[in-house]
Amino acid sequence: MNDRDPDKLPFGRRRRTAASALVAILVAFVLGVLLNAPAMKKTAMELPFGGQRSFRLALVSPAAAVSHWMFLDRPAEFAAAALGRPDPGPQPVEVVVVDTQPTPRATASGTPRPAPADKPLPKPYPGHPMHLYIAGDSMAGIPGMALVNLAKGTRLIKPLLDYRISTGLVRPDFFNWPAQLQRQAKAFDPGAAVVMWGANDNQGVQTSSGKVFQFGSDGWKKEYRKRVSDAIAILFANGVRRIYWVGQPIMPDSTYDRQIRLLNDIYRSEAKKRPGVRYIDAYGVFSGGGGGHAQYLRDDKGKMQQVREGDGEHLTYAGGMRLAEVVMAAIRADWLSETKPGAGSASPSPKASAKATPAP
Amino acid sequence: MLFPTITFAVFFLLVFIGNWLLMPRPRLWKPFILLASCVFYGWWEWRFVLLLALSAVANQLFAKAIERAATAAARKWLLAAAVAVNLGVLGWFKYYGFFVTSVVNFLGAFRLQADLPLLRIVLPVGISFLTFRVLSYVIDVYRGKLRTSSLLDFAVYVAFFPYIMAGPIARAGEFLPQLSGPRDPRRVDTSRAFFLIFAGLAKKMLLADYLATHIVNGVFTTPGQYTSLETLLGIVGYAVQIYCDFSAYADIAIGISLLLGFELPDNFNAPYTAISVQDFWRRWHMTLSRWLRDYLYIPLGGNRKGRTRTSVNIMITMVLGGLWHGAGWPFIFWGFLHGGAQVVEHRRVDIRKLRAQRGTDAFATSGGGPAAARAAGAPPGPPEIDTRPWGGGVWPRIGVFAFVTCAWVFFRSATFAAALSVFAQLFRGWGSVGASVTPVLLLVIAVGIGIQYVPRSLYERVEAGFSVLNPLVQGGLLAVGFMALDVLGPAGPASFLYFRF
Repeated sequence: MNDRDPDKLPFGRRRRTAASALVAILVAFVLGVLLNAPAMKKTAMELPFGGQRSFRLALVSPAAAVSHWMFLDRPAEFAAAALGRPDPGPQPVEVVVVDTQPTPRATASGTPRPAPADKPLPKPYPGHPMHLYIAGDSMAGIPGMALVNLAKGTRLIKPLLDYRISTGLVRPDFFNWPAQLQRQAKAFDPGAAVVMWGANDNQGVQTSSGKVFQFGSDGWKKEYRKRVSDAIAILFANGVRRIYWVGQPIMPDSTYDRQIRLLNDIYRSEAKKRPGVRYIDAYGVFSGGGGGHAQYLRDDKGKMQQVREGDGEHLTYAGGMRLAEVVMAAIRADWLSETKPGAGSASPSPKASAKATPAP
Repeated sequence: MLFPTITFAVFFLLVFIGNWLLMPRPRLWKPFILLASCVFYGWWEWRFVLLLALSAVANQLFAKAIERAATAAARKWLLAAAVAVNLGVLGWFKYYGFFVTSVVNFLGAFRLQADLPLLRIVLPVGISFLTFRVLSYVIDVYRGKLRTSSLLDFAVYVAFFPYIMAGPIARAGEFLPQLSGPRDPRRVDTSRAFFLIFAGLAKKMLLADYLATHIVNGVFTTPGQYTSLETLLGIVGYAVQIYCDFSAYADIAIGISLLLGFELPDNFNAPYTAISVQDFWRRWHMTLSRWLRDYLYIPLGGNRKGRTRTSVNIMITMVLGGLWHGAGWPFIFWGFLHGGAQVVEHRRVDIRKLRAQRGTDAFATSGGGPAAARAAGAPPGPPEIDTRPWGGGVWPRIGVFAFVTCAWVFFRSATFAAALSVFAQLFRGWGSVGASVTPVLLLVIAVGIGIQYVPRSLYERVEAGFSVLNPLVQGGLLAVGFMALDVLGPAGPASFLYFRF
């Protein structure tokens, strides 16, 4: 409790009535809504397709219209533009044209490079590291960080971690991964990519024609397969030679776990279709002795570790390192060892392959 | 429900109106504010509202039983039972996994197998704060400092939504008396409330979240990716981030309470201006510090049982304070570091006092005295002892900040190995500056530290100036300010760091 005399506030500060406070709050609220209406509309549009989204949009859209009509959306737009920040309102989704053929970048001798997965992989050496691009959602964050630490330790791999919280492949209007993959692949010129999405993809998807399919429907599966396939094609088309597609780990909630298994099934089967794509089965890595969800697991030395955060979903650093070691083993086998295994879509870790994701 | 969201804005608007409409009728107001608090808490996980209810009922029963107990021994046993139950619940939710893994790994080191059940336990947000709140009630009733209140009043105190997630730890003796009568709707400190809410949002969105995403998270998880300068800025950045994040929540909580007519205790007072570690703890998370002082350090004996015992008591208090923050050895070590520093500071002051005492004795035995002192031009009596361990000025401030900042590395890191790898990176890459070192980053860190050196009177002048404005103008300025935060801040609200504690 502060020791001020309640009747004497410093520098003549005045107490006001609750009604006066209500007026100020109402003005701040109404004017604040109008000034921020485009951002609020954008937030509402980014919600999963369904009743809540429709309800929020029904509330916010008229405010956004009034705001625009009264020119009250302009200050935020001008401020954002002046500060180099993205426009606060909804923006059209950049469409990435997916080229299924790899970019025929010429070699020094002028001859076009062959398809990425067909040619032997160049071995990195000191001064010429292999560029490793790591992309995904929040689930990819911690294992991505652990992988960066492992990769840096080789001194032959230069990693770039690019994870975006709450993103996935179903909502390019929230975060446009195809465009991001293309930008990053062009800028970073990766030899390999590790990708991990899906934790936020258990929601409806909207096709380019505007039709919305709810999660798990046949239309959804078809569209999602296409998006997985497009992501692979974009990376290959921009010079990536190997893709390590990391599936989702087992989840504590049975409904969510079923959804995850459906997603993993799609990743695995799409990876199988393409040489150069390896599917890393994270599901098995985090299954306990009985094949169920495990919050704690023993490491190689028998030490008990907490591998999942309190939500039971995200990985702790120990869990992330566990997964990163499996991914790193696959990368080492492809890029750093003398005897290169076949470029199939098998799980490289006996630990992982022993307990593959069960069918959804 | 997070403070910086439109959902909370709508919720608060409705609660504010209901609060002041029902305030003259406490029999309606109390259930209303209790319900609102349950909605706020249950928005995150409704099942834990039951935990609040059980905590309120159980602790009220304990407090009533203590109050009615016939003998001192019975009162003591009841208090012990209340403390055991509350700490047991806290231990179950927060420390079970840590305890079991520690035991299993300890036995494993001796090749002993222990098959203790390992469970996934969801930690209720703010349970540590809840535990300390309810314990303050039961202990103060035991000590006779507080009479038991009605169950409804106590339930409002337990669940009051502004502080339920991350404090400040308002004591029962501070909050319950405010429920004794309706708050005066003509005397609301609106200006300070608006200032605190806005300042809190700005600290959270512009400083804390920026630092987290631009440097701190990276440096603490992938230190090998950063140069030494970046690592240094990441470490300092975390010190600024945790202050801006945690104090932001406290500011907003105090501001919201003021708008509802309630005063909460201050929780921060420019902690990075501290001239000693003891001083730091008088400025950082002040409600926790005084809780630990009054309910742990002093009952242990405080400084009344000799120097060695004082040191032990300080160490116990700080180590348990570290453990309160999180279930992990780095948290315990962080508490150990702070305890050790305070022991050193105590010893330093003790030695100074001892020397002064010897000097006074020598002064007396050599025939000195007031007359002799006056003759020598000195003030009469023994020389004044400087009780500041490191004196005042700039260097103690820099030293304490450096110590506290280094200690935060253990607080932030999941393991000792992770903390040491961050420190190691400080010595590995001074060859280049690093891409993360930008003018904006330096500015944010400078602002985060600099705001603590701004005299409080300046903030109070701003609050006073704002208080005389027409409410329409006040609302307009707030709306423009919120728009600026929305444009400048990160996309989407981020959770507050102290929710996990």
